[in-house]
Amino acid sequence: MDLDYKFLVQTFYLVLGAIPTTLKLTFVSLLAATPFAFAIAMVRRQSGRRILSQIVKAYVTFMRGTPIVLQILMIYSVLPSVLNAVALAWNLPINVFDWDPVLYAYIVFTLNTIALLSEVFRSALGSVVQGQMEAALCAGLTRVQAYIHIILPQALVSAMPNLCNLTINLLKGTSLAFLMTVKDMTAVAKVAASYGYNYIEAYMDVLVGYVIVCSIVQVLFHFAERHVGRYRLVRQK
Amino acid sequence: MLKIRNVHKRYHENEILKGVDVTVDKGDVVTILGPSGSGKTTLLRCMNFLERADEGSMDFDEYHVKLHDASSHDVGKIRKKTAFVFQNYNLFQNKTALENVMVGLVIGRGMDKSKAQEIGMKALDKVGLADRYRYYPAQLSGGQQQRVGIARAIAVEPDVILFDEPTSALDPELVGEVLNVIKQLAKEGKTMVIVTHEMKFAADVATHVIFMADGKIVEEGDPKTIFLCPKEERTKTFLRRILPGVEYNI
Ligand SMILES: Nc1ncnc2c1ncn2[C@@H]1O[C@H](COP(=O)(O)OP(=O)(O)OP(=O)(O)O)[C@@H](O)[C@H]1O
Ligand SMILES: [Mg+2]
Repeated sequence: MDLDYKFLVQTFYLVLGAIPTTLKLTFVSLLAATPFAFAIAMVRRQSGRRILSQIVKAYVTFMRGTPIVLQILMIYSVLPSVLNAVALAWNLPINVFDWDPVLYAYIVFTLNTIALLSEVFRSALGSVVQGQMEAALCAGLTRVQAYIHIILPQALVSAMPNLCNLTINLLKGTSLAFLMTVKDMTAVAKVAASYGYNYIEAYMDVLVGYVIVCSIVQVLFHFAERHVGRYRLVRQK
Repeated sequence: MLKIRNVHKRYHENEILKGVDVTVDKGDVVTILGPSGSGKTTLLRCMNFLERADEGSMDFDEYHVKLHDASSHDVGKIRKKTAFVFQNYNLFQNKTALENVMVGLVIGRGMDKSKAQEIGMKALDKVGLADRYRYYPAQLSGGQQQRVGIARAIAVEPDVILFDEPTSALDPELVGEVLNVIKQLAKEGKTMVIVTHEMKFAADVATHVIFMADGKIVEEGDPKTIFLCPKEERTKTFLRRILPGVEYNI
């Protein structure tokens, strides 16, 4: 097998250049999803609010139970037409079809992440022993103060491993953004390859690119986990 | 100072508390005894609204409330007049010993940090943990954790401290250190309500003993009367089972 090394190196730089796009897709979606995911986790933890709880549960089940490729295809083909119809009906002076496709990518990945992240939060909140909430109330804290100072910091620590997995999966999942013509790491390599059919070299570059980015994310999470979880380290003497 | 009257609590069909009255005056040490499942924990939890009673009233200094419909505002105020020491400590795992003691002062009561730190250190010194300020709960023994729990309770200078079996989760050799701290508090005249299975300790520290069974107070009085010449058959049976070998004037 002959590899075009010049192409390999050139494309590798292209792939590196697209890393910010991939990272942006990942972390903007993650950040945008966080408040919603947290709200869902809180709703599902409370015993009241039956109906709301069922609705969000249905949402989570649906998002978790369908392939993200399908979600992308659905949203990317349906949402613009729907928005366009709305714009026409209300005489809004916008042309939906002019919008950058990256917008739809953010929407899909955020909607998907909300569902997955809410499960991470839910199990993390459940892992903090209930007694500490009571102790906080007895110490004169309000429920909100107890959440901010006692419960959430600990929930964050136990969420870390799952959060890391979720982030890595999302990061890899954003490679599907090429379906929406977003120029992420995968897309730029594919485009470059299509001129001379150097797909093997291009794919090798993309693979290496993802390995690098994912490794960095993993290392960062490792340190973050050690930092926020200091209090769990073994006995000091 | 603190009076609760006619406390009723039901879980589903089971009535756990069937009309309990408790009066606590300043300086009292009230110990509550009784067999497992008699409702001691539930009673204590109703006293600071961790559990909502179905019926009953509370007079606590200037507060006069119905236990079942006290406003969350009043509940907050009343909780700040009390402190609770839990059977399984319930320390804040993400806070050091000193921070555990400071949380109620700084966050709960808005005290400034340096003052709270001073008070927190004094409280920890008092329970014999002067060398453990910076330790996290995971780095402390059960007895040490419970003493942090007690320091956390005394630091806020509550009108009354509620103890729910403070030593029953501890290894036998660690029980003494915790009981000694509580005895010291009793000597200083702290007002306390203590649920315990440690009979000798209960007899030593109490100014008033309550014996509960089946959600009701069977008998109460000063420790001498309850331990040495109880009147009710249920009390006698209970004490005989738990303190074999002790002679009563029965
Ligand atoms: N949340 C709850 N739901 C249903 N039943 C409960 C609940 N909490 C307590 N009970 C019941 O109430 C009864 C009294 O419980 P409680 O914990 O007050 O007893 P206790 O006197 O403290 O016993 P112990 O000495 O074992 O601690 C028990 O039969 C228990 O099963
Ligand atoms: Mg109990």
